[in-house]
Amino acid sequence: MSILKLENLHKRFGGLVAVEDFEMAVEEGEIVGLIGPNGAGKTTVFNMVAGFYRPDSGRVFFQGKDLVGMKPHQICALGLGRTYQVTKPFGDLSVLENVMVGAFARLPRAREARHRALEVLQCVDFSDRKDVLGHELTTVDHKRLELARALATRPSLLLLDEPMAGLNPTEKLHLLGLFRDIRKGGVTLFVVEHDMKAVMNLCQRIVVMDRGRKLLEGTPEQVARDPQAISAYLGEEYGTA
Amino acid sequence: MPISALECVHANAPSVEGRDHPRRSSALSWWIIAAATLLFLIIPLLLHDPYYLHIFILVFLFAYLGTAWSLVGMAGQLSLGHAAFLGIGGYTSTLLFMEWGVTPWLGMWMGAILSAVVGILIGYPTFRLRGPYFALTTIAFAEILRIYVENTEVGPFGIPLRAGMGLLVPLKGSAPALFQFDSKEPYYYLSFLMMCMAVGLSFLINRTRFGFYLAAIRADQDAAESLGINSTRFKLLAMTVSCLLAALGGTFYAQYFRYINPERAMGLGISIEIALVGIVGGWQTVLGPTIGSVLLSPLSELVRAYLGGTYAGLHLIFYGLVLMVVVLFLPNGIFGPLQMAIRRLEAKIRKSDEKG
Repeated sequence: MSILKLENLHKRFGGLVAVEDFEMAVEEGEIVGLIGPNGAGKTTVFNMVAGFYRPDSGRVFFQGKDLVGMKPHQICALGLGRTYQVTKPFGDLSVLENVMVGAFARLPRAREARHRALEVLQCVDFSDRKDVLGHELTTVDHKRLELARALATRPSLLLLDEPMAGLNPTEKLHLLGLFRDIRKGGVTLFVVEHDMKAVMNLCQRIVVMDRGRKLLEGTPEQVARDPQAISAYLGEEYGTA
Repeated sequence: MPISALECVHANAPSVEGRDHPRRSSALSWWIIAAATLLFLIIPLLLHDPYYLHIFILVFLFAYLGTAWSLVGMAGQLSLGHAAFLGIGGYTSTLLFMEWGVTPWLGMWMGAILSAVVGILIGYPTFRLRGPYFALTTIAFAEILRIYVENTEVGPFGIPLRAGMGLLVPLKGSAPALFQFDSKEPYYYLSFLMMCMAVGLSFLINRTRFGFYLAAIRADQDAAESLGINSTRFKLLAMTVSCLLAALGGTFYAQYFRYINPERAMGLGISIEIALVGIVGGWQTVLGPTIGSVLLSPLSELVRAYLGGTYAGLHLIFYGLVLMVVVLFLPNGIFGPLQMAIRRLEAKIRKSDEKG
């Protein structure tokens, strides 16, 4: 059984069709990428999965359970975490406290949540900044914070919305390693990303979206060679690679 | 239970506590709190002038009300009609006492329950919306309630609300069992105790999951929800506790002044006074409202006492000015800068200790 299965998703905003007849699946233990030009509907798909938008029609199955109509907090409780493209730190809480908020989802006692949060911070190599306030962090640290916070909720599937945006090459490399570690820890990853190098490097399978629809899906090699994907999004550079 | 995520290679024992937490109260501030508590405890032994005691009682009462109010503030919600809950508490306990002789010690809890129920009824629809709807609804509700009581001689079920006349608490002399004392001292200690309990409760809430969740909701509701927080539920919980406490304060208010009327117990003036104490002090901090009340309550009482006769309504202008200054220069209240100053002072002391 797929950990995540999307069936015939439709979403329109007024006259604009954002997502149309979209379907795909993510298998347990995979890292799957969702790519496509700006406005293709990637984030809308994420928002429907995480419960922020209700699809006009279609279904979202997570571990066999239909999520449509559920609230974001209920979906989180089932084990589906997400990070945001525009990071949303809790500015007047420290890094540790930010991550504790996530840990509380499974551990209602402050002591246990703190312990868990410290563990997660160690894992994402962030312990040294645990007492810094959320609004004092740099871009890369915001990303790490988002990741740590989402991980602290113990997700079995994690949606990452453009985790690489705004990072320099060294930071990207570091984050890639981290994602692989996280997957080794048993978390399935579903990533929206514009950085093609990162996507090709990280993902086992890639879904290409264009104008709200699925254009194609395949391994990074297949996608990189596909003329449709090249003309819609990748450009010549990847076609010859 | 989903699989335990993330067993990374270097996840050994978590590191020990590092440097100072940015918001942890310093040792010096604990000493200041202890000293202030001690001082407040012995003041009635040194100071017998009832007027001064009265001012202290107002300080404690508004610190209590401001702290209660700030619990909703911690969820990022601004209530500008908290006097409604004060009024519900005061009216309920006083009416129960007048009509059926129920002691206010018991009546206050009935008022608290009623107030909490009303708070939930206001919060339930409005907490789902974003923007100023909650604040607007609280003002509207408090004003509707005040106007209704002001114009209703006999309410539903024959409750004698006595319109604008207000309720006079029947005097029983010194009757501690009926929440009546013949000197200021018992009210002083009672209001002090209530303030300490409210601050203590707020302190405890801030150290538990509930407090973390309120902070998360106020910082970013979407992020909070995707971390598993049912924001409506926790806002409602904060509202319930806040309304409950405000109503208990309302009973104290009625018993202390021995008279309440719609304007004094539910009016916009009181609502603003409660909110102002919190905003000036720091409405998202545990001790902020207390500090706000220490600063504002004596000032507003003095303004009212010395200038209220000649220039009625001057204290409202005064509130407006204070609010403008605070919003312009200390948007997060006085508590943060004060804490910073204490911390700097502490660092200085430590340094001079090392030298000497």
